[in-house]
Amino acid sequence: MADVKIDHLVKNYNPGVARDVLRDINLDIKEGEFVVFVGPSGCGKSTLLRAIAGLDDITSGDLYIGGKRMNDVPPVNRGVGMVFQSYALYPHMTVRENLAFGLKIKKIDKAIAKERVAQASAMLGLDSFLERKPKALSGGQRQRVAIGRALVQHPDVFLLDEPLSNLDAALRVKTRIELARMHQERGSTTIYVTHDQVEAMTLANKIVVLSPLTDDGAASNLEQFGPPLDLYHAPANRFVAGFIGSPKMNFLDGMIEEAGEQRTRIKLDTGISLTASVDSSRGRAGDKVEVGIRPEHTVMLDDPRADNRVTGTVQVAEHLGAETFVYLEVGGKDFTVKVRPETPAAPQSQFDIGVPADACYLFDAKGQAFPRTARFSRT
Amino acid sequence: MAMVESQSVIYRKLAAHVFLWFFLALIIFPLLMVIAISFRTGNFAVGDIIPSNPTLDHWRLALGMSIIDESGRTIPPPFPVLLWLWNSVKVAVISAILIVALSTTCAYAFARLRFSGRSLLLKAMLIFQMFPAVLALVAYYALFSRITEYFPPLGLNTHPGLIFAYLGGIALHVWTIKGYFETIDKSLEESAMLDGASPWQAFRLILLPLSVPILAVVFILAFITAITEYPVASILLQDEAKLTLAVGSQYYLNPQEYKWGDFAAAAVMSGLPITLVFLLAQRWLVGGLTAGGVKG
Ligand SMILES: Nc1ncnc2c1ncn2[C@@H]1O[C@H](COP(=O)(O)OP(=O)(O)OP(=O)(O)O)[C@@H](O)[C@H]1O
Ligand SMILES: [Mg+2]
Repeated sequence: MADVKIDHLVKNYNPGVARDVLRDINLDIKEGEFVVFVGPSGCGKSTLLRAIAGLDDITSGDLYIGGKRMNDVPPVNRGVGMVFQSYALYPHMTVRENLAFGLKIKKIDKAIAKERVAQASAMLGLDSFLERKPKALSGGQRQRVAIGRALVQHPDVFLLDEPLSNLDAALRVKTRIELARMHQERGSTTIYVTHDQVEAMTLANKIVVLSPLTDDGAASNLEQFGPPLDLYHAPANRFVAGFIGSPKMNFLDGMIEEAGEQRTRIKLDTGISLTASVDSSRGRAGDKVEVGIRPEHTVMLDDPRADNRVTGTVQVAEHLGAETFVYLEVGGKDFTVKVRPETPAAPQSQFDIGVPADACYLFDAKGQAFPRTARFSRT
Repeated sequence: MAMVESQSVIYRKLAAHVFLWFFLALIIFPLLMVIAISFRTGNFAVGDIIPSNPTLDHWRLALGMSIIDESGRTIPPPFPVLLWLWNSVKVAVISAILIVALSTTCAYAFARLRFSGRSLLLKAMLIFQMFPAVLALVAYYALFSRITEYFPPLGLNTHPGLIFAYLGGIALHVWTIKGYFETIDKSLEESAMLDGASPWQAFRLILLPLSVPILAVVFILAFITAITEYPVASILLQDEAKLTLAVGSQYYLNPQEYKWGDFAAAAVMSGLPITLVFLLAQRWLVGGLTAGGVKG
């Protein structure tokens, strides 16, 4: 067991030629935490994971695992186990040999090695496949072998790179729950990369949101690091707000009409005024802002909490049975709302929706969030 | 169950078969000729494909046995053909093994390690290889006679010297193996290294076992090249007892007397080890070794 500390980490594959992939990353991952890296494709999640594992070197900055500086320590001595995005099973070895490979290399006592393999195989339900080669396994079974292979090493830090990405929906849920249980049982520090919102929100103690670096000279591409619900309710900026949550948050342009410590009045570009429970004391009337509203935070107009009204034209309605999503166009922008099942919404008709003041997020012209003074939940 | 085929496909298949048989005949016919010559009485290059009165004399001579001619004289075998064959096999096996070892490690460096001048070196190797060995014969001779002065065991007129010369021709093999290595996902070795393997262990325990088919191909190619090679061997080897079969069998063909029958028997014999190696190596030529390792 060990904590992981990342200090001003920079990674550039080709310094001087290419642009940085990771810039000024600072993370303090406590022992036993389950941390999930999320971000759009190409933002450097795998790169950061590989840097922690020691498969790629760090351009500058420091990496500590268990309090020890690891910059120049080879992968095997870092006490990390990694599950590759591609599984990377040894195709010419049976499942048993795959599991035992690392123990054999490290010359671990045969009896202990056998014990560990048996333990991992029982835990992951691999007992009946032990003598098979990887090509005779299904995707989900290969996946479990990959996890098992990292597990038998008893790593201090467990690294997983999109381990569930090739599984079907049912198996994904099952394996996700298995992983959560495994983490509870063993309590090893775990770092997990995923594209999947649900995986991130359900598994993580803390989420790291990364963004791709462009040439705009951003100081860092670490957007936010915190518990899932903090990221959901109090995103640091527009990027995190737009990334966390599914379907995506809606954004409407406007400007501050009246700033305040508890409440802010905003005039949207569409002409209507809106009240938001946001502390905008650092802003002034006339500042350009963006209002963010989550689809699941809208209410019907007859709801007492419907402080504001937004009107749009219906594009499409999706009736999923348990819920209905209506895709609106509001002032030329897409606006998604989640409404009660079977709410009628004919295409091209006008649709009014209520927006509670407590449900509004507000971002300044640079995309930084104003502090919210309330957390909204629909029920 | 066979797929239902349209008439035109059947005709095309027929045409393909006819073409293939024709092609096969083209390849096999010269071989049959040589075999026929080796059983024909006297030393004639032309004659019936099925010898009218077949004889084993040429084979007896090739296998080192004396024969008795029409006038009752005993004719001892003129050349040590079996010894030559042994020399050929020895040189070919050792150089093929060394070539596989050298080109594999070399290919690993080119496929997996980053160093400056890597691509330049790769291209240069190939370009130098394009220069025909025949044109460099003088250089070979000069080089090896110089080596003889300092270290005779590796110099002119030695088998190690010849093998050493053959080791120069690995560029093509390096390219072949490098191409194969690059199809193997790098994460397999990275995974092995996380498991505690040294780079050498990752190479030997993960990459090599997965590359057996290409190593078998390279071994066969290197073996065939070495056993049939003539120009370099004819320059470097001088003692009759040290010749390889490819060089030695030419002794049967001197302008005073072309001993086609004896030559043919020796030629067929030199084909035997190649066939043998091919049959042995075939079991390693399997596909699908890397299946299931990484997700597609
Ligand atoms: N070996 C490499 N050499 C140069 N650039 C690289 C290398 N590996 C990755 N990159 C670049 O670094 C960036 C981040 O790559 P990375 O694989 O970390 O992304 P990711 O966040 O894991 O994306 P995904 O979600 O698609 O897996 C990409 O722009 C990629 O092009
Ligand atoms: Mg990735």
